[in-house]
Amino acid sequence: MKSTSSFRTRTLLLALTLCPLLPTEAAAQVVAPGPALQGGNCSVEGLMDSIRNGLKSNSEAYKKYMRTLLRESAPTLSDSELRAAFERETDPVMAEHLAAALVARTERGADPQAIKAVAKRALEERDPAVRAATVRSLRRTSALESTDGVYEQLVKDPSPEVRQEAATNIVEDIREVYSGFHGPASDAAVSAAAASTDPKVTAKILGSMDTQKISADSAGKIQSLLGSDDAEVRKAAALALGGVPAEQMASARQSVLAMYRDEKDAGVRKALLQSIAQLGFIGAIPELQRLRSTDPSLAPEIDAWIRVLNLDLQEWNLILREKQRLQQVP
Amino acid sequence: MTSASPPPTSPPPSGTSSRRKPLLVAGAGLVALLAGVALIGRGGSGEEHAAEEKPTAAHDHAKHGPANKTGTASPAAPLAPGQEEKAPQFSSTVCWQDIERFNAGVTIHNFREWAEPLLNSRDGLVRDFLKDRLTELIGNNPNHALEVMEWSRDAQGKSFGVYLMAVRDSEAVHQPQVATRLLDMGQDNSLPSERRAGLLSALDTQKRLAPVALERLTTLANDPVSVDAGWAAARTIARVMKREFKQNESIAPYMDKLLTIGAASPDEQVRYLGQMMPMHAAPLLSPEETERFAKILVGEGNEDGRDAAAHNLSLSYDKGKVLDLFAKTFETEQSLCVKWALFRFSARTAGKRALPVMANMVTLDPRFQGIYQDFERIYASGTLDFVRLYNSLPNQDPFNCLDRHE
Repeated sequence: MKSTSSFRTRTLLLALTLCPLLPTEAAAQVVAPGPALQGGNCSVEGLMDSIRNGLKSNSEAYKKYMRTLLRESAPTLSDSELRAAFERETDPVMAEHLAAALVARTERGADPQAIKAVAKRALEERDPAVRAATVRSLRRTSALESTDGVYEQLVKDPSPEVRQEAATNIVEDIREVYSGFHGPASDAAVSAAAASTDPKVTAKILGSMDTQKISADSAGKIQSLLGSDDAEVRKAAALALGGVPAEQMASARQSVLAMYRDEKDAGVRKALLQSIAQLGFIGAIPELQRLRSTDPSLAPEIDAWIRVLNLDLQEWNLILREKQRLQQVP
Repeated sequence: MTSASPPPTSPPPSGTSSRRKPLLVAGAGLVALLAGVALIGRGGSGEEHAAEEKPTAAHDHAKHGPANKTGTASPAAPLAPGQEEKAPQFSSTVCWQDIERFNAGVTIHNFREWAEPLLNSRDGLVRDFLKDRLTELIGNNPNHALEVMEWSRDAQGKSFGVYLMAVRDSEAVHQPQVATRLLDMGQDNSLPSERRAGLLSALDTQKRLAPVALERLTTLANDPVSVDAGWAAARTIARVMKREFKQNESIAPYMDKLLTIGAASPDEQVRYLGQMMPMHAAPLLSPEETERFAKILVGEGNEDGRDAAAHNLSLSYDKGKVLDLFAKTFETEQSLCVKWALFRFSARTAGKRALPVMANMVTLDPRFQGIYQDFERIYASGTLDFVRLYNSLPNQDPFNCLDRHE
């Protein structure tokens, strides 16, 4: 992708100079010829040069193309060259691109081990910016399953940035890759949330997690987190309990109902109400009515839930949507 | 290539085979499989796809581990006994010499000439780049968008789709003169219907459709000579409606037009779009909308349309009326697949309180005995959510309805 002709360069510069000066019609008639575009095979070195140069471009489309081209080329690139380039790269941006290419090799079935090399560096790299970049490259992949519990370690990383990137990966993997439907991945996410000592990480993972396929053991871990000192963690745990599998629902309902009376934080109480609604659908209305007197300031919130549950919708996503629509009405 | 928005999707399937098929109800019966619907009309030649959001619960990959971004088999997928692991085959990518200089020097004025050799290549990645780059070059300038639309009049091969996708995704498409010109050209009978379909599809990123635009699109959809353009017009109404609904806006005018198309278009496939597309937004149905879908349920000749009507009706405010209608329709319905729709959407209407209605359906047609027991058992386990229930069924397609159009 390197320049091959000074004549062409001059022609291009001339065209660039003239174009803004010419009216559209005239320009259409005297368009200078473009660069000779010859297609060829891709190499690690050539792609890396292109990406480095492309980072200077003002075009986001071009940067996206370069990123995509490297990732799409990954299965057919030289494995040793790719790994070597990744190992020696110290720039976080370039390391992320190379890591993404290695991850793509595993995701496409070209090399089951490549993702582990990335996970290893995410744990062992000294520069936190490179660690964070490497963690990002694992996003929306099978890493929750294929990296042997690496997330339980990443959520304890000394760098808050790395911990947050790891939490984002877990959230997006569960939602976008597994759709909440894969028990082992969901359990790995709960284990990571429980292992973290950073309340922001725990809350981020559990606060938006689909728990419909978690094990009884995971449900127990979430119930334990209801007793956290951190209100955001309690809130996230309450929301997560709302979605547990049918066999865990009775126990979860008992926990959140019992907690509501003693909970002082209004945000946590709102989350408990949502959890009660999700665990009972229209059947939760009598319980919600009983809770109206516990905290009169939350009576409007309870009434909003009752109003929506009375629609008797049969899907939680629809119930939640209608609740949000109700609250957006001016 | 992956889309930026969730969920991860496979690369767009090439060709048009998925386009003309009636769009089937998938998984939880929530949403039809629209992922393969192209921007260009149903008979078009473009392969760029604007994937509709797929329901998570209906996502086949979800039950079997990670959905690979690229659509290849999961590396962790277990092999069946006796099955030998096959080495995956990968196609080489193309790296274009001088692409950096192309990128640095390309403008709206030289794009067509400079991009031509790339557009004529078989490299889908570079085509995607060209589309994105052209979108940048158009920017918010309506004159640039209008110029690109003029190119599309005689554009050959893949360039037609690239030009119109670029307009569709540009900021300028929201300028009134651009949207109006797209509509004008979409109604221009001197252009082939397939091109008009592409032009009308470029309107589907609009934030809203004014009453006049809605009326014009509806007229097109109901016009028997519109063919592909009418199909695209109906889909554009539905896609803009979905966006409006997410913004918490009233979608009654859109629903009115889709139901008009669903009842009146002489083209069965266009009519079906009017009947089916509302399920993407999944609005709760007013009494009038319930009545109009009820007429489709009992009067539509195409069984896919009746199936779609049942799907939509399960979100009516008037659950009692819908259950009665489903019970009564089941008695006379001849299609087993529509009966299956009436059966399962009874559960989506009223949950386990629909079980007596469903039990009565079993007495009328014993083929539903086994699946009824599954519903009964899953509800007894405490499951409330219809999506979870559906995904817990041992067989989500007990009557082989999903492949009836293959």
